[in-house]
Amino acid sequence: MIKSTKTWIIIFSVLALTSLGCWIWMQSVHIDHKIAKIYHNGECIKTIDLNAVSEPYEFTVETEHGKNTVRVEFGRIRIVDASCPDHICVNQGWISDGTAPIVCLPNKLVIKIEKQENELDAKTQ
Amino acid sequence: MNPKKLTTMALLSAFALIIFIVEAQIPSPIAIPGIKLGLANVITLFAIFTLTPTETFIILIVRIILANIFAGQITTFFYSLSGGLMCFFATFWLKYILSQKQIWVAGVLGAIFHNVGQIITAAVLTRTPAVFAYLPILLFSGIITGVFTGLCTQFFISHYRKIRRR
Repeated sequence: MIKSTKTWIIIFSVLALTSLGCWIWMQSVHIDHKIAKIYHNGECIKTIDLNAVSEPYEFTVETEHGKNTVRVEFGRIRIVDASCPDHICVNQGWISDGTAPIVCLPNKLVIKIEKQENELDAKTQ
Repeated sequence: MNPKKLTTMALLSAFALIIFIVEAQIPSPIAIPGIKLGLANVITLFAIFTLTPTETFIILIVRIILANIFAGQITTFFYSLSGGLMCFFATFWLKYILSQKQIWVAGVLGAIFHNVGQIITAAVLTRTPAVFAYLPILLFSGIITGVFTGLCTQFFISHYRKIRRR
């Protein structure tokens, strides 16, 4: 049964469509109050309230693994420059939701947008 | 080990290394970490289906170590190694159950396990479980690129068998 080519095609198509569906669904999840957290080596080193940003600004995160320049605007955040060789984190551009974090693997830096903790309380009130 | 085997293995390692380095020079059109074609896997798959598991394993390790000396740094080494090992252990036994027309299946399974291995390593190294958010898109891209590299291997092997019969 598992030896037939048709079975394999069905298994892979279902898996591909499920994961694509998952990804699209994750993209559509909306966060109202955005808190950006910058992690280095799993430790949160900086927290920014993206809803409280009025003027765009830049700052540099420097760790023993390398430098990343982060740009912050209202409701979104990105890495504009990095000392890593592949620059995938820079090319990823802006993130404005909790779907996928910006990950700079060489510098072990992760930028994630999270909900504010008391959001649930605010909704149930 | 006889000289013919040794030469074949050295040749395949060199092929894999060249493919890997050339592919690393091409910038990825999609800015999501981990998405790439993985053409060097064609050589690993070819070795799996034509050589013994031990020989394939040696080729894979040699390629990963050399590729990281020439084109990477120490962090990417662990990603390549974990991905390569996951891919190897997921596919080396498939040659006993797959027919000649199903070699592409090994490509897909290899790509999926390669990506899963890399995500686990990323989560461990950055100590951020949030990187698992990339799992769906990496599974999807793994299936697409896996079909491509798998089919490449399939055509490669069928031509190789034709040449050897002459």
